[in-house]
Order: sequence, then structure tokens, then C-alpha cells
Amino acid sequence: MTTQMRLRGGSRDVDYASSSQVRIQLSTRDNDISLPKNPGPLLVNTNLRRYALSTLVNHLLKTEKPIPFEFLINGTFLRTTLDEYLTSRGISSEATVPLEYVRAAIPPVYKTSFMHDNWVCSVDVLSVTSPAAKWVGNARIGFNQERVISGDYDGLLRVWDMTGDVLAVSRTVREGGPVSALKSVKFISPTQIASCGMDGVIRLWEYTEDAENLTASLSPQIELCGQRRVIESIAVHQPSSRILSASGDHTVGVWSTNASEAPNPPEELRPSHRGNKRQKVQPSTTPQRGPLALLESHTAQVADTIFAPNDHTVAYSVSWDHSLKTWDLPTSTCVDTRSTTAVLFATVSMPNLSLVAVGGTAGHITLIDPRDSTTTVSAMTLRGHKNFTFSLATDPDSAYRLVSGSADGTCRVWDIRSSTTDKNGKVGASVECLQRESGKREAKVFGVCWDKDVGILSASEDKFVQINGGAKVEARIPRGH
Amino acid sequence: MAPESASKKRKAVTRDSPESEEVALSDGGDDFEVALLNGIQVQSGDDMDGDSSDSLEDEKDSGEELDSDEVPPDGEDDVRDLVKENGFLREPTPEEELNGEGPAANYRIAKDANGNLRYVYNEIDPVYDSDDSDAPATTNTIGNIPLSFYDSYPHIGYDINGKKISRPAKGEALDALLDSIEIPKGWTGLTDPATGKPLELNQQELEVLKRIQMNEVPEEGYDPYPDMVEYFTSKTETMPLSAAPEPKRRFVPSKHETKRVMKIVRAIREGRISPYRLPPEEEEDDLDVKRYDIWANEAPRPDNPMNIPAPKLPPPGYEESYHPPQEYLPDKNEKKAWEEADEEDRNKEFLPTNHDSLRKVPCYARFIKEKFERCLDLYLAPRVRRSKLNIDPESLLPKLPSPEELRPFPTMCATKFLGHEGRVRSLAVAPSGHWLASGGDDGTVRVGELTTGHQVWSVQLEKGEAVNVVRWRPGTEAKVLAAATGEDVYLISPQIADLNKEVATKSREIIDAGWGYAANGAKSNTKKEPATQWVRPGSRLEGDGVLVKFSLRKTVKIISWHRRGEYFATVSPQGQTNAVAIHTLSKHLTQLPFRKLKGLAQSAQFHPSKPIFFVATQRMIRSYDLSKQELLKIIQPGARWISSFDVHPGGDNLIVGSYDKRLLWHDLELSVRPYKTLRYHKKAIRAVKFHQGGLPLFADASDDGSLQIFHGKVVEDMMENASIVPLKVLRGHQVKKELGVLDLDWHPREPWCVSAGADGTCRLWT
Repeated sequence: MTTQMRLRGGSRDVDYASSSQVRIQLSTRDNDISLPKNPGPLLVNTNLRRYALSTLVNHLLKTEKPIPFEFLINGTFLRTTLDEYLTSRGISSEATVPLEYVRAAIPPVYKTSFMHDNWVCSVDVLSVTSPAAKWVGNARIGFNQERVISGDYDGLLRVWDMTGDVLAVSRTVREGGPVSALKSVKFISPTQIASCGMDGVIRLWEYTEDAENLTASLSPQIELCGQRRVIESIAVHQPSSRILSASGDHTVGVWSTNASEAPNPPEELRPSHRGNKRQKVQPSTTPQRGPLALLESHTAQVADTIFAPNDHTVAYSVSWDHSLKTWDLPTSTCVDTRSTTAVLFATVSMPNLSLVAVGGTAGHITLIDPRDSTTTVSAMTLRGHKNFTFSLATDPDSAYRLVSGSADGTCRVWDIRSSTTDKNGKVGASVECLQRESGKREAKVFGVCWDKDVGILSASEDKFVQINGGAKVEARIPRGH
Repeated sequence: MAPESASKKRKAVTRDSPESEEVALSDGGDDFEVALLNGIQVQSGDDMDGDSSDSLEDEKDSGEELDSDEVPPDGEDDVRDLVKENGFLREPTPEEELNGEGPAANYRIAKDANGNLRYVYNEIDPVYDSDDSDAPATTNTIGNIPLSFYDSYPHIGYDINGKKISRPAKGEALDALLDSIEIPKGWTGLTDPATGKPLELNQQELEVLKRIQMNEVPEEGYDPYPDMVEYFTSKTETMPLSAAPEPKRRFVPSKHETKRVMKIVRAIREGRISPYRLPPEEEEDDLDVKRYDIWANEAPRPDNPMNIPAPKLPPPGYEESYHPPQEYLPDKNEKKAWEEADEEDRNKEFLPTNHDSLRKVPCYARFIKEKFERCLDLYLAPRVRRSKLNIDPESLLPKLPSPEELRPFPTMCATKFLGHEGRVRSLAVAPSGHWLASGGDDGTVRVGELTTGHQVWSVQLEKGEAVNVVRWRPGTEAKVLAAATGEDVYLISPQIADLNKEVATKSREIIDAGWGYAANGAKSNTKKEPATQWVRPGSRLEGDGVLVKFSLRKTVKIISWHRRGEYFATVSPQGQTNAVAIHTLSKHLTQLPFRKLKGLAQSAQFHPSKPIFFVATQRMIRSYDLSKQELLKIIQPGARWISSFDVHPGGDNLIVGSYDKRLLWHDLELSVRPYKTLRYHKKAIRAVKFHQGGLPLFADASDDGSLQIFHGKVVEDMMENASIVPLKVLRGHQVKKELGVLDLDWHPREPWCVSAGADGTCRLWT
């Protein structure tokens, strides 16, 4: 009752004669911002907008600093007044409107771009909150000391600082480095980087910076070889020192980062140097190791693989044979296969929802519940991309959001709470669409990465790594200092 | 029934003409004819079809009883039965009845003077039915009345004894037959209405008739054109009899006449006489004639579909007036425009024209023409009501499944491959499905990643010479690319980074396997000079992975691999006798299997499973059995110039694309003619291709810059024909110099299609 009075008091200039009231039922899926006790249906004016409702929730939560909230009604975000929403949907103001509130996400804005010489395939970031730093635990990465690594079609691995300077580059072809395009790069730890590419070899690099951060160096540690075709993607898990690789020879490779643990590679699969006379250089002195296991069940090229976020003995892989497979790593067996209708290129896991998102040539992203109990293949589809989906990443802030990079030249941010149901089941639409700042139309986005501190990084055909970050990142800046 | 009875009956009814009947009977010498006559006779007597069976029965008996003169006792009854059946005779006369018992009481027995028995015969009673020929000929006594009065009776009058004269049998059948046997003189086939007898005419009467028929005067010797006897002479005299001048009264109006006319005029003016007499009312009430108003109760009928009511014309407006207001009159430009416009293009048929007064309006200029056109319309209008087929033509078509149900198929352009300068002439997707090789006018062969479009390898084969065709060798264990530029064919192991040591080595081994054989083969085969020499292309190209080169005599346009990757065929359309060459990879051997080929070779392909080789010339596709070395079949697509063809992976179907815009589907089991012709493109079709990976898809690429995707399902069942459904038109390639899409290929597994455009791009369609 007090709430209503307060609200009325706060908007005294509103003409009450013309506005009506509606019952709302507030709810949320985040535990930390849930209301301590259920207030029941509240009676509010229908001319309220998001801001007023957010104030209401903040008041109910008795927060010290107001948290901006957004409101979902039946899976769509409230962007107008309640009245307009109800009128446009033809909902009677007599009914109780279920109102779900979520933390407002500040739209990611363009921050900077890192230019490359060739198409950029893959990007990863090291920050305080990135997995690589979390695994180590004692990493000290100050503000703006985040590092970005990128791999391009020239086969070069670059380490960038946040100002856009290249700190270190792997050896070029002329210097005897590997020649093939890099398909995936990952931080294993703040000092170790893994890369893989078209030559079918996973390379582990040691990354060192001196104290003044003036120079940095990349030196090859181990070459992991044993797969016969291009390795499209790798996944790393530092605590168990395991690497998963998705290869064009239809296998998923399991590797160890410890040179002592891994077997020697088969002789015929050691990386060859071309018979070109330019390439007649001394064989590399880098130690070479073979795979711990090659998981064979896919019938076509494997495109992406990930560790299950909560259990590093479980892996998921997607392949050109349209299927998502769940692997039990200790026994190297395929536990489960889910078939979709199109070639799959990327997958990402959403641990809190026990969903796996897969994207591919279908033009939409499918959310699959990989647990045994489910019978349907697709839990939800996210529609909006006009072309292939090449990569996926989850929002570190929210369990419900993910970003996808597509061949139509956009990255789209999806909130799976925002969904509607049609004849094909639950369908979600994107909440944000990030265009390429380079202005090149339909520059395919090959890799995306979402970091809590840095924002959304996307690597694309336009030879740029583009960083889009929420304003929140900047808002944290004073506190960081 | 004996013939006697029948003939007796006939006699009874046709007593008037005993002579003709006698003739008939005497003429009917043998049994059969008589029997036949009997049958006909009975029929004619009865006028009933139902008795024909009886008459047939009669025929059986007739043979036995023909000769007996004796009248059988039941003969009369039979006749009577027949007569009864026809309802002729209602009550037999007592005389007849008596006569019917006649044979029993024909005589009485008396005793003569000597006491002997004596047969005293009754006097013959010449009754109506009597056989007695002495009886006077009956003549009709009805007098001068029309015979039609007796139409409803069985008789036509009475004879001198008051007996009914029976209606003579019409005798259609018998008389016709008799008359056909011998036509008596003067026979006309007509019946005299006065007597009912056949009408006979003598020669004189016939002559008269003939003259009447000829539209001449019936009288003999009449001359319709006698010489003219001139009453006055027709000749004009040169000198007139009188030279007196014309009298004045000939040219001065007559005062007397004027007076008389004025008198009449005055009378008319004063109303004493009326100039026109009203026509008398012709309608006279004739009470004898009943009249009906047939339209009195006419109710409006529903519209007949055939009835098209005349269009209701709007009333004439101001501009149709002879003296329209100024604003309706056209100005000079409008007038000129109207006059210059074609008659059909004018928005109104007339030009508003101003006339000062009604009497200055000229006659309607188009009157004659309009009448003529109206007549023409009437004349040309269909006279017969054509019943429209009330069938929806759509319903006659076989039900095609909708494209939505036939997913997946390529629908949109996913990736563009840039890099080639000038046209891309040919492309091919690697058997692994990961790489796309393309060759173009800039003389380069490029290999790119299929999904991303990133070029990973390229080589310049010959400067200034276009790469006409690139084809991957089938099989995933090695990556071997065959490319043709000009007369040269190259075998390449592209150095893609993906190819690790194993695959690269294998590819190299496969290509290089034949070095020894080439030399040995040349020695052993001394008879013939080898068609070509396989050599290394030079160190520059060899460094780039181009391992083997050989030259043919003419430009190579087509390369087609055998499914095992051991053989490949090349086609150089200009090469006369060596247009088609088959190459053995492992022996580095080139063979020219066709010394003579009718027409220009266009394309060639191996059968996907059998040792059969297809060669397409401009108009025909011939299939040869390679093991037996003989011609199997000549397929005639009926196209004027075949551009390309492809064999269905099942091997029994063929699609043919032609430069005359047609895509033809052949069922080889069915016919040598196309099973279906698809004519959807606006320009020539350059390439056709089946999906080789198990999806029922095929596509064609055309110079109009579009690709068309079809669903083509081949059913195993021989009874069912392949179902072909057009699915999608893929547009995107730009048309440059009249060339659109030059080549296409399918992904080996996915429903993806790649196309090579004249605009320098390749596109991946998914």
C-alpha cells in the first residue's frame, strides 16, 4: 500500500483521469536480486516506463545504490510504457501482468580495433576474470594490463596490449615459423598460449614479459602432432593440463600440456616442411608430442569442441556431420549424439541452464539440452543471422546471454530469457547487433570472445579485431584505481 | 407353314397383280430361292419383324412340301391367324367359313343310273378366295373419291360383288426384289394413288415427264425462240422524215399542267384531299382462325450463360453534339495527335466538331465502314456453340510436392570467392568437401577454403592463357588436381597447409607413379607413336606442386575423371580425330579411342558404376561399352547444340544442358528421347550437374547469370518415372559480356552448390 502511495506521490503531475492501473507480478531468475519476500501482485499505473519500474524494484530490494533493471513481459523487453505495451499486445489491464526483471545490460559500444595483415581467425583475451587467469589464481593483471592474442590466416600469433600495440609476434615463414593459417588461439595460463591451424599441429608457446612491460617474447614450447588434417578449434583446461582439438580428420584429439605426460608422436605425422627450396631450413628443435587419445565417432570433419564447464572429464564436439556429441574423456567414449539439420561450426556451453548452444550453416543458433533425459533435440532456436554462424561465446556476467559471430558480418547478442513461442518451439531474437566498424560489408566474423573486463572481441575477414565493451567497464575504472 | 399357304395369302391380298407373282414363282426355280421368297413374303404380309423367326422355320419345311399341289387343311387357318394377328380381319364372313370347310364337303356321293357311285362335285364357287382364274377382274367401285379415305381400313374399296378389296401389300421387300429381277416396261416404282397399283407409264408419258424435268415446255415441237418478226424497223434512218424544228411546247412549262397541279395543291392545302391515304387496317377479325398470344404469359427467364446482353451505352454527352461548347472542342495539337494516332490507340472514336447548324452536318463518314465491320463481325462470329471444357487445367497436372517439403537445397549465397581477374571458367569442390579449386581467364588455378572463402593456394600456369577446366581426382586419400590451359593438361598436387606429409606424399606418389611406364610403353608399342609425352612442367611450376604436364593438339575444354581416379578423359572440341583422349594416370599413357567421331565432341564422362563411356557431340550423346569396345546407345536429346551433360549417380539417368536454353532429362531405360524438357532459362545453359552425394538435387548454370536448382528423384521402381520439381533460382552473378555463370559444382555431401561467374567471383550457395 505504501508503495502505491509513494509511486503516486512521485508522479503527481500525471493525469490520473486518463491513466488506468494494472496488476503486476514481479519475478526474477537471479537469486541475488530476488525479492526477500513475495510482495504479491502490485497495482501500478500503466503509464510507467522502465525507469519507474526499476525504481520500484530498487525500492523493494532496499538497495543502497540503485541497480538498473530491465523488464521482460512474456519474453519481450519492455521498451515503451506499460500502457502502450498492453494496448499493442491486446492484453486487458484487468489481468495480472507477469513482469520479470533482469539486470540491465548496457549496450556494448565500439571501443577499438586492432589491425592485421590478413584475415583474423581467432581471438582470446587474458584478464583478471578470464579463465586462464582464474585457473592460475595468483595472476596479477592490473587495469589495462589485459592481453589480447589473435591468430590470422598468415599463421601469425600476435599478443596485443589494450592500447593496440603488438607486444610479441610468433615467427613468420621467413624466420622458419609455421606457415599455415591459425584457426584457434587460446591462453592456457598468463604465460602459456596454445595455437592450432591448418597444418594440423597444436603449438604451445611460452609467453614472457619483462617487468617493465617493454618487451615480450613468444617461444615455442611443444608441438602436438598426430592429427591428419586441419585443426579447426582447440579447448584448453589448465588445471587438468588437457587440450581438446577438433580436426578435419573426423577425430577429436585429447592432448596434455605436460611434455612428460604425452607420448611421442607417430613418425609419419610429424609436421613436414615443404619441399620448397625456400623452406629447406633446419628441422625445428621444438619437442614434439603425440595425442593422449583420438576420439573417433564423427563421420565428418569436427568443427569445434569444448570442455563441459563444470566437469572437465566431459567434452562436447560439433561436426560437419550435423551432430553434437558428448564425450566421456577418461574412457574416450562417445556418450551421446544429438543430430541437427545442418553443418555445425561452433558450440558453447551455458552451464547454469545445462544447455549447449550450437551454430552452423543453418542460419540460426540452436540450444540443445545434452542431458540424457531430454528427448527433444532443440530446446530453443535463436533466429536473426542471415548466414553461417562461425563462433559463439557466453556472457561472463549473465548466464542467459551469449554472443555469436556470423558470416553476415555481424555479432549478435542474445538473451535467452527474451523468447517467444511459435510453431517451431521457442524462438529467441537478438537483443543487440554489433556491426563491423571497418565498414566492410558482410565481413565474416570468424571468432568471438567475451570477457568481463574487456568486452566482446571479434575477429573478422576485414582484418580487424574489434572490441565492443559495455559502458560498465568504464564505470569500473575509478573503482579499479 | 407351307409355301402354298403363304403364296395363297399373297394371292388373296394381291389379286390385282397375279401376273407378276406368277413370274416370281416360276422364276424361283430352286428351293432356296423360293424359301427365301417365302420368308420375305411372310414378312411383307405381316409387316412385323417378330415373325422373321417363323419365316426361318418355314424355310426348313419348304423343301418337302414344295411340290404338293394339295392345299393343306390348316392353310386357311394359318392365313387367318396371320390376318388376325395383324388385326386385319375382325369377323370372317359365313361364306369364307363355309369355304374353309370346303375340302370335306366338296362333293356328294350319289348313285347314277347304273347304281354305281357317282361323285357329284359342287359347282365351283368363284368366291373371293377362289383359285379360279376365270373370275372377272375386280375393279374398285368406290367411285371418284380419294383413296386416302380408306387409309384407316384394311381394304381400299369394294368390287363389283360388294366384296372388300384388300389393300395390296406394299410389297417393299418382295416387289423390290421382283422388280430388281426384271423391271417391266414403263415401271416407275410409284403407286397410282387412284388404284393403289404400281404406276406404269408409256413412252410418250415418259417423254413428257422428261421435258418437264428439263424445264422445257412439255408440248412436243414447241420452239421457245422463234425468229423475231419486226413490227417496226430497228434500223435508224439517216435522214429523218421531218426536218421541222422542235415545237416550243416541248421545252416551255405547260400552263395547263401548272393549273392542274395548283388545283391539287390548293385542294391539299385546304384539306379537301389528303396526299396520302392511310393504309387500311389489314387486320380483319377472322373468326374461324383461332389466335393465341404466345407471349402473354411470358416470364423472365434466368440469364443464359451464352447470352451476352448488349452493353449499356452512356447517353451522348456534350462533345458528341454537332455544336459543342468551346471547351469540348479540341485544339490544334489535340486534333493532330488524334489524327496521327493509330485507329486502335485513340481514346475516343470521333473528334468533336463544330457545325453552325444541323443542316451543315455532313453525312457520317464512317457509315459504310462501320456497317462493313458489323457485317464482318456477324460473318465471323462462331455459329456453333462451343462447349467450354469446364476442367481446371491445374487439376490435370500431376501433383508436385511443394519446394518447402523438399528441403534441404541451396537457397542463398553464403560465401563469395574473390581473387580471379577476369572470368572464372571452371571450379570444383574437393572430394573432402573442404576446398574449392577454380581456374579462370587470368591463367591461375586457385584453391580456397570452402566455408570461409579464404584463398590458401594459387599457381600461375601459363601467362595469358585461360585455365579452361579444373577437376579434382576422386578419392580422399590424396589431393590431385587436373587442370587444362590451352592445349596443356597439368596434374597438380596443391600445397595446401592442410596436406600433411602423408597426404602430400601420397598425392605425389600417385602422380609420379607412371614415369617408368611411359618409357616402357613407348618401346613396346613401336607401331604407334604415343599420342603425347608426359613431362615435368619445369622447376618453377614444380616447386608450386605442378608435377606433370602433357600437351594435346587442340584446346582442352573438358576433363572428366573416372570414379576410381585411375583414368581421366579430356575433350578438345576442335581436335578432329583426337577430340577425346583417355589418360591412364598410373602409366602416364594417353589413348585416343575414337578415330572417327561424327560431329564436334562437346563433353565426355564415365559411367558412375559400369564400364561405359559417354561422349557428347553437338547433337547426340553416344554411350560406348569400354570392355566390349562397342557402341551401346545413341541418345538424341533433340537439342541444337549440347553444352554439357551429367550422369545421375545411379547411372540410368542423364541431364543435358544445351546452348538453346533447354535442360533435358533423359531416362536411359525409357527412351533415347528426353523424358522431360525444362525450358526456364532466358539464355544458354553452360553447365549441368547432379548432386553426387545422395541428395536428389541437380542444378544448371546459365548465361543469364542465374542458377536453377531442381529436385530430381529417381525411384528404384522401374514403373515409376523420376519426379522433377523446380526448387530455386539462385541469382547473384553479374552478366558480363553476355556471359553469366560458366560452371557449377556440388558439395560432395551437403546440399551446397558452388558456381563460377563471368564476373570473376565464385559463390557458395547454401
